[in-house]
Amino acid sequence: MKIHIKYILLTLSILFISCNDVIDLDVPNATPKLVIEASLDWEKGTLGNEQVIKLSNTKPYFDAATSDIVTGASVKVTNDDNGTEFLFIDQNNGKYTTSNFIPILNQSYTLQVIYNNETYSAQETLMPVSDIINIEQSYEGGFDDEVLDVSIYFQDPAEEDNFYLVRFKEVGDVFAELEDISDEFINGNLIDTWFEKEDDDDTNEEPFIPGDIVNIDLHGISQRYHNYIRLLIEQSNSGGDPFSAVPAALRGNCINKINPDNYALGYFRLTEVTKVSYTFQ
Amino acid sequence: MKKLVLLLLLLLTSLLSAQEKYTISGTIKDVNNGETVFGASVYLKGTTIGVMSNEYGFFSITAPKGTYNLVISYLGYADMDQEIIFEKDQKLIFEISESSTTLNEVVITTSDTELVSIRKPQMSVSKLKIGTIKKMPAVLGEIDVLKSIQMLPGVTNSGEGTSGFNVRGGAADQNLVLLDEAIIYNTSHLFGFFSVFNADAIKDIKLYKGGIPARFGGRVSSVLDIRQKDGNSKDFNLTGGLGIISSRLTAEGPILKKKGAFLIAGRGSYAHLFMKASEDLKDDSAYFYDLNLKSNYEINENNKLYLSGYYGRDYFKLSKIVENNYGNLSGNLRWNHVFNDKLFSNLSLIYSKYDYQVILDFVKLDWVAEIKNSNIKYDLKYYVNDKFKLDFGLSGIDYKFNPGEVKPTAPDSPINYLKLDQKKAFEGGAYVSAEHNLTSNLTVQYGLRYSIFTRLGGQSLTNYLNEKPVVYNNELGIYEEGVEIDETDYKKSETIKTFDNFEPRLSLSYQLNKTSSVKVGYTKSTQYIHLLSNTTSATPLDVWAPSGKFIQPQSSNQYALGYFKNIKNKMYSLETEVYYKTTDNRIDYIDGANLIGNNNIETEILNGESKSYGLELLLRKNKGKFTGWFAYTLSKSEQRTLGGVAGGSGINNGDWYNTAYDRTHDFSLTGVYKYNDKWTFSSNFIFQTGRPVTYPNAQYQYEGISIASYSERNANRLPAYHRVDISATYTPNKKPNNRWKGEWVFGIYNLYNRKNAASISFAQNTDTGINEATRTAIFGIIPSITYNFKF
Repeated sequence: MKIHIKYILLTLSILFISCNDVIDLDVPNATPKLVIEASLDWEKGTLGNEQVIKLSNTKPYFDAATSDIVTGASVKVTNDDNGTEFLFIDQNNGKYTTSNFIPILNQSYTLQVIYNNETYSAQETLMPVSDIINIEQSYEGGFDDEVLDVSIYFQDPAEEDNFYLVRFKEVGDVFAELEDISDEFINGNLIDTWFEKEDDDDTNEEPFIPGDIVNIDLHGISQRYHNYIRLLIEQSNSGGDPFSAVPAALRGNCINKINPDNYALGYFRLTEVTKVSYTFQ
Repeated sequence: MKKLVLLLLLLLTSLLSAQEKYTISGTIKDVNNGETVFGASVYLKGTTIGVMSNEYGFFSITAPKGTYNLVISYLGYADMDQEIIFEKDQKLIFEISESSTTLNEVVITTSDTELVSIRKPQMSVSKLKIGTIKKMPAVLGEIDVLKSIQMLPGVTNSGEGTSGFNVRGGAADQNLVLLDEAIIYNTSHLFGFFSVFNADAIKDIKLYKGGIPARFGGRVSSVLDIRQKDGNSKDFNLTGGLGIISSRLTAEGPILKKKGAFLIAGRGSYAHLFMKASEDLKDDSAYFYDLNLKSNYEINENNKLYLSGYYGRDYFKLSKIVENNYGNLSGNLRWNHVFNDKLFSNLSLIYSKYDYQVILDFVKLDWVAEIKNSNIKYDLKYYVNDKFKLDFGLSGIDYKFNPGEVKPTAPDSPINYLKLDQKKAFEGGAYVSAEHNLTSNLTVQYGLRYSIFTRLGGQSLTNYLNEKPVVYNNELGIYEEGVEIDETDYKKSETIKTFDNFEPRLSLSYQLNKTSSVKVGYTKSTQYIHLLSNTTSATPLDVWAPSGKFIQPQSSNQYALGYFKNIKNKMYSLETEVYYKTTDNRIDYIDGANLIGNNNIETEILNGESKSYGLELLLRKNKGKFTGWFAYTLSKSEQRTLGGVAGGSGINNGDWYNTAYDRTHDFSLTGVYKYNDKWTFSSNFIFQTGRPVTYPNAQYQYEGISIASYSERNANRLPAYHRVDISATYTPNKKPNNRWKGEWVFGIYNLYNRKNAASISFAQNTDTGINEATRTAIFGIIPSITYNFKF
């Protein structure tokens, strides 16, 4: 359910006569900031004990897109009810891992990261997710009826507000496509969402053909994380076009209690995730 | 207090002067088509007695008994000079003729109009005759009223292909746009490529950037007053034009034994027909059309009726993805009544509507939204004597807002039906305004407007914990939606909230000598309805919202000072002004505000303030083979939003930041050169500081994607905007007995093909993963050819 009506509509509208080109541009350079990518995702049907937290620093915008990794930090997650601590071990490659995590649905956890004598913390609840009840390919879904698309279907619970993050990635692709879903207009319905690739000379994108494999992850997420990821997706898709919202700093939930202005970017999320893989026929 | 007594004394002396006086009143018309003339100056040579004809061509002039030379002068028309003996009250009709009768031809020639405008206290007003606009180069050959006013100082827009315009650092929704007095909510066709005003149906436009007369209210930035032609009351004719993108046809003529006239104008684009021929675009469509209607009927010399209407529509379709249409509808029935030779009145009944529809095929969704209003207005003008004129009147506007209704379009649609709360409001106004010649050098225009706005019931409103719809989350440093506790249901008979305001207006002109004057002005105005938009430029899908429990009315104060001079016997004229404007309660949006389909907009907004100031300079050359103008604006426009009751330091840390319509320098040059009777050439050049935008200042990896990190709002700027346009008009030899007159207009827009950035977007290259800045430029070099005719 892609409800970004305004953006779809208006971005496409100016394509009729506009022209795009890549230019050289000077942009400002901020001092590096810590980025915490603490995505503790519990795949249905697994123990969820293996978890990774990534730490990095921000870097100049036009530098190569690799992480400026952070090592030497101390990272731990605590179960807020019983106080169980899960220590994440520095792998010296920007990753901090544990094999002992115990995920509990609707349980609140606290993250603590100590780095450069600064302490960052975040609190989040592990959100459950519905099952993907059907996955199918067709030509009719998506924008273009002449290319293949794949759709997933899942049942939204009617009794509460639900938020989802869907991650589509074709095997071999560099980037995943993210989609945020809120049940605001579709509460209690059978929700379907699709993934399609257009024939696009500019980006060398090609439509799906039989044999292509797509991995689809459906995460249940909190309302606050939905606000965050919605903005992140919006800004990474349409940053700067005249019909997009004025871009803003993305504040996640990783705070610095002693020195509030020195907060960390990124997010401490806990989700239940259901994963499927689909091969086009 | 002493000053007040003195003022009253002056007022009384002017009212009670005991000399024997007589009044000449009447109407000024164009001799060729019978159109009434608005803004012609009528004065008695050798005296300081003079008036301007009003919107309906009416004037009233009073002088002591005697013989005078009565002169009527109007831009582009030959002066009429007639000896008149003031020994009794008389009613007269004067018909003036254009100084050149070529089709669409109005060379800006000498006109004593300037004499009066030096005297008149009205300042900060830009007036363009439709003939002047038609001489300027136009994109795709389509003459555009809104693009032409942007060639004047103090007026800009958000860039090519965007709706609306900005006046003196104000937002697009702060402009009151009136077409024959009806409010036009969206001024753009095709997302801003063209304006909704068909130049063939328009008589003149007037833009009040400040010094807004007390008879106007409801917007804090400007008033764009556009008047349609009345229709030719002398004979029937057709006017039209054929262009690459669009064509237009206007029919007008007398009706009912020349006691009345009508005008019907239609315009449409047909670019979509070319799309049909293209394999890629055959299922896509984008077009617009509009219709203008006007008719008038003179019941007798004291009573006249006018009916005007407008209907415009845009239609846009992208194969199976989206369908969108939107447009304005308006109508106005007016009754002019002359009570006596000094008292003129007009009663108007007006209706306006703006609506849009979006159909998203792929999610089976149909979305409609609209705003409509009915308006009754009664305006009177009392020509008390040669030194004192009084305007007064009343108005009432009844608004209905439908911010959105979402319907599923098929049984298997995943969408649930949703109707956002319908809102109702009433806006009333009463005003009195006087123009008073205090001495032979000093003229003052002072007025007071009283406005009242009532948000009516018939809906429920959410109550929030601690009455905070927006709450600052101290820990995370972000603004979040407040906590809903319950709802209050307001009955239809109840009012939710009422606001009222007194809005004083004052302008003063002091004539330094025959050719120059100094003017000062002050305007306070209040705006009760607001366009909700957190995008950089206004879009057709933005929704209007009334003030009420959560949204405060915007209120502005503007101060202006100007110096006006005619040079070399009016060969040149110079207008300079400085202004300072502050606006309270300007809505601002929290980071990541979600406005689409949101029933509780109050959870996304904070009340802020804005201020703008600048210097404007306009130098015109009015006479000769070469005419034109040079305009320059140096300005600043900023806004600030503090946290207030929501807590926190505010949006952008509570610091002042540039509005999206801040342009430090805005420079334009327009020239028309009449080479001979066959060829006329024109050109314009524009240079503007780039629009404030927000650039990323860092990147980081998240979910395997490079994410841009942004800092302060609007702290950066797009590259400067500049371009040159040229056009040539060829008028073939006229056959003396042929009614058919034609002309060819050849134009080139953006002559040196400058790729002006409408926006710059930031994303990762999908192959290399390296971040890139991508510039979107809307119009490159565009040649055009148009054929205009009149029959």
